[in-house]
Amino acid sequence: MYLYNARYIKMHADVEVDCHVLVIGSGGAGARAALEASQYGKTVLVSRTLTGKGGCTPMAEGGYNAVLRNADSCPMHVADTLRGGAYLNDPALVDILVRESPERMADLIRWGAVFDVTDSREIAQRPFGGQQFPRTCYAGDRTGHEIMATLVEQLRSRDIEQLQETTVIELLLDGGRVCGAAMLDRNGGLLLCRADATVLATGGGTRVYDISTNCAAGTGDGFALGYRAGAELIDMEMVQFHPTGAVYPYNARGRLITEAVRGEGGLLLNAEGERFMHRYDPERMELSTRDVVARAIATEILEGRGTPHNGVYLDVSHLPAPTIEERLPIMLEQFLAFGVDIRKEPMEVAPTAHHIMGGLRITPSGQTTVPGLFACGEVAGGVHGANRLGGNALADTQVFGKRAGESAGRAAKQSGAIPISAIGAIGARLERFRAGSVPPIAIIETLRRAMWDGAGIFRTEASLTTAGETVASLKTRTPQARTDRNLAECCTVENMLEVAGLIVRGALLRRESRGAHVRKDVRTAWEPAQSPYGHTFQSRSGEGIEQREVAA
Amino acid sequence: MKEGDMVGITAKVSRFNPETDKEPHFETYTVSVHDGARVLHVLHAIHDRLDPTLAYRFCCEAGQCGSCAMRVNGEPVLACMEEATDGMTVEPLRLPVIRDLLVEVEGVLARLAPFEAGEEPEIPSKEEIEAIKPLRDCIECLSCVSECPAVDVASFLGPTGMRQEMRIALDPRAKHDRIKKAIDEGLFTCTTCQRCRDVCPKKIAIPGRAIEKLREIANREGLTLPRHQAVARLIEETGRSVDRTKATFLEQVPEVVEPDGPVRGEVGFFVGCMYNGRVPETALDMIEVMKRNGIRLIIPHDQVCCGSPLIRTGQTAILPELKKRNIEAFARKGVTTVMTMCAGCGSTLKNDYDTPFTVKDITEVLTEYGIEPPARLDVRATYHDPCHLLRGQGISGQPRELLKTAVREFVEMPSRCCGAGGGVRSGLPDEAAALGKQRDDEIKKTGADIVVTACPFCEFHIRENTDRPVKHICTLLLEGYREKDRKRNRPAKG
Repeated sequence: MYLYNARYIKMHADVEVDCHVLVIGSGGAGARAALEASQYGKTVLVSRTLTGKGGCTPMAEGGYNAVLRNADSCPMHVADTLRGGAYLNDPALVDILVRESPERMADLIRWGAVFDVTDSREIAQRPFGGQQFPRTCYAGDRTGHEIMATLVEQLRSRDIEQLQETTVIELLLDGGRVCGAAMLDRNGGLLLCRADATVLATGGGTRVYDISTNCAAGTGDGFALGYRAGAELIDMEMVQFHPTGAVYPYNARGRLITEAVRGEGGLLLNAEGERFMHRYDPERMELSTRDVVARAIATEILEGRGTPHNGVYLDVSHLPAPTIEERLPIMLEQFLAFGVDIRKEPMEVAPTAHHIMGGLRITPSGQTTVPGLFACGEVAGGVHGANRLGGNALADTQVFGKRAGESAGRAAKQSGAIPISAIGAIGARLERFRAGSVPPIAIIETLRRAMWDGAGIFRTEASLTTAGETVASLKTRTPQARTDRNLAECCTVENMLEVAGLIVRGALLRRESRGAHVRKDVRTAWEPAQSPYGHTFQSRSGEGIEQREVAA
Repeated sequence: MKEGDMVGITAKVSRFNPETDKEPHFETYTVSVHDGARVLHVLHAIHDRLDPTLAYRFCCEAGQCGSCAMRVNGEPVLACMEEATDGMTVEPLRLPVIRDLLVEVEGVLARLAPFEAGEEPEIPSKEEIEAIKPLRDCIECLSCVSECPAVDVASFLGPTGMRQEMRIALDPRAKHDRIKKAIDEGLFTCTTCQRCRDVCPKKIAIPGRAIEKLREIANREGLTLPRHQAVARLIEETGRSVDRTKATFLEQVPEVVEPDGPVRGEVGFFVGCMYNGRVPETALDMIEVMKRNGIRLIIPHDQVCCGSPLIRTGQTAILPELKKRNIEAFARKGVTTVMTMCAGCGSTLKNDYDTPFTVKDITEVLTEYGIEPPARLDVRATYHDPCHLLRGQGISGQPRELLKTAVREFVEMPSRCCGAGGGVRSGLPDEAAALGKQRDDEIKKTGADIVVTACPFCEFHIRENTDRPVKHICTLLLEGYREKDRKRNRPAKG
């Protein structure tokens, strides 16, 4: 019989790794952090997927915002980002994002990134929603792929140990300080890593919703890991719903349909053939901001003017076929694969959960509220406020990835052992999954529907309470691990429940509509800039919403 | 959300547990999935509802991360993009299997060339960016590596390894010339069979865009294999890549060959070095077939090597001269269609030339005109797809159609490079022989009496590696005609 006490694990963990910096997550932020940290000491990069294949970075199509031209300016980029974020952003973080984004772009260029350029050898830029200047740099419609490929080429040339297809299941604590992480390898074998500093770069988690643009790794594990380690999270209710996700076929629901479709002249029509945006934003029409368009589409569907697949039509068939072929090749290819020729017939679209603006509270150096733990990328909060601008996420990964990696690299050496107390209840948790009785999918499917219905685009106290109750009841069910290789899935299920709970509690705490967060049961008189509320915050030691002074 | 109609899908999935199994085996599962489900969704359904031990890799589910490459009905695909079909088989890529559909990829990925950056950020020109871009679409799924015949028998990092080397070679920001490293990684082992391009989910033409271009760089730096250099010298001196050891085809035929009966058509004939100098008998057989079927042949005697051996091995300096001579030779005769019977020449004329005439393979010409049916020979035959015909020209149906009219029984074998192409036969004969041997194994499995093909390189090379007779399709047709004549001339019994 196995005795899963701390001492047993300590003696039987398959491998023990010791390093200076442990980076968790190999997307844009994690890879950038690891590159930076490796200049200071032994760096381990752990990834649930193969390095660079996880996360949303390789899927990002649009671009990377950077102030590169004389006609543009940092104050303009700052103003756009704050306005887009409904003035919930942490101004210090926005300032850094804007100031350092061009420098990080220069890093990528030096490392061989193949961005589109102009005839005069400048990085090409295009306009994106909510911005006063066309400052979005791009590599065709595979910008994230290009950034990831560049970072992976660099990882291969550095002395960085990569633990691939290895799932971090818990951060280890020594006193109040994070001292590494416990992980499961591909076979479910436990592996302990001690580190002087740990960087959390696990990306987003909108897979807790029924319909999401995220990859399979977008389960929000980092939010849960950080929360359990005692970190404070802010603004978890701020979930961006992208207006245009696929609705058909069933298994492609949520797949992102890029904003460029509307940028190129795509029209939104309801089932009655009405170009309905004139009732929501007559000035900007289809090119309004993401939150407005998402709400408009959702309203049309809710009020019975949706298509047979419960979407609205997004039509480019009035554009010349060569324009579609040249400007929207990936969209054309993807829809053709599903039997729809967008040159001749409209797409059907509906909103899809896209990005979590909230996350671990960080300082400008990427330090979380827990010593020894840093965070960057989508798992960190505060940069994007209540609504993220397209093109700011990729910039975020590079700017704050570099900062978190550098801060972790500069962290002081710690004693070279993992205290037995740190291993705590890990063994008991795994044993519980082995004795579990519920197939993980049963919990996940119920959770996703409950979140979509109760904590989606429109929220009320009642709908949020219902969702919260479902989450609480699901937490009492124990997912089953049929073999050790299924243990990681069970940990993820619990993490998803944790993240869902954080979103719901944040949404209940914020009694106002702001950016992506819409409370239909609350009416407020103020504009976002005058809101008396700051961040919502949640940690194991308490929760609340910050009050703030606003100029009259 | 309205849910799509559910459909039942039965799939045969390859399972392998390294702790208990010696060999992978198939398990059959039936699951209910939504209409339009992809292969990946079927695997999810099996994993979630029937057997959570099924191991497979996936992530973005949108065709952009390259995690879920696997073989469906034998062909590498991305499981997240390929529509599931009832009765499909799902197997891992042909790479070392870790478990079920999980294959070992980290070793290869770690060896892909890193980018060694210079100090100053320097923005490349638009032209430089445009040149690199097509090589940058790679999502490192390793489908190409898994299907590459050279990887199988030689020390070769694989197609995407060469793609990465070329990407760096094209980038003005890269610090070092890595051509010697590319050679160490197996640059010369590629037979240019194009299988990698066919299985690439992003359709990157690695042989043309990377391997042949890297070989050109190697050539400029004096690193071309000595045997390839000898071929280039021969072409430069004689206009031919094959030594004259006997009377050539062109020495034996007039410039115009009239058919026996009425003229149904006319084509120019591009003979190529192999049929001219090494196996002229096959080309002479072809003449008989054309005469019998009413097709006039125009055969300019001043035609020369098409240049394929130079392109494949990166020695392109005299290529423009060869192209000019060949185009002029046929243009002067006023032909509108030029026929090839060498798959390599045909692929080169079609893909690397800009010709004022149409180029067609002989199997296209014969099926378009339609031929007199030959007598069926009392043999079981299999067909070897020449790479430069199947992938270079997209021709697979026509030779089979012709072949089936001439034999008692036709049996397929899996198509794969025989090892003769890309300069490998001359440059790395051991590798070529190893691939030839694999062909022999497949031939044996079919139980065929004869092997039919449509390329002189394949014909010559496979003949060296099997004990079964190897014939060009024309030779087979001619034998069928002779058999027919024999039967007709034999007095009827009774």
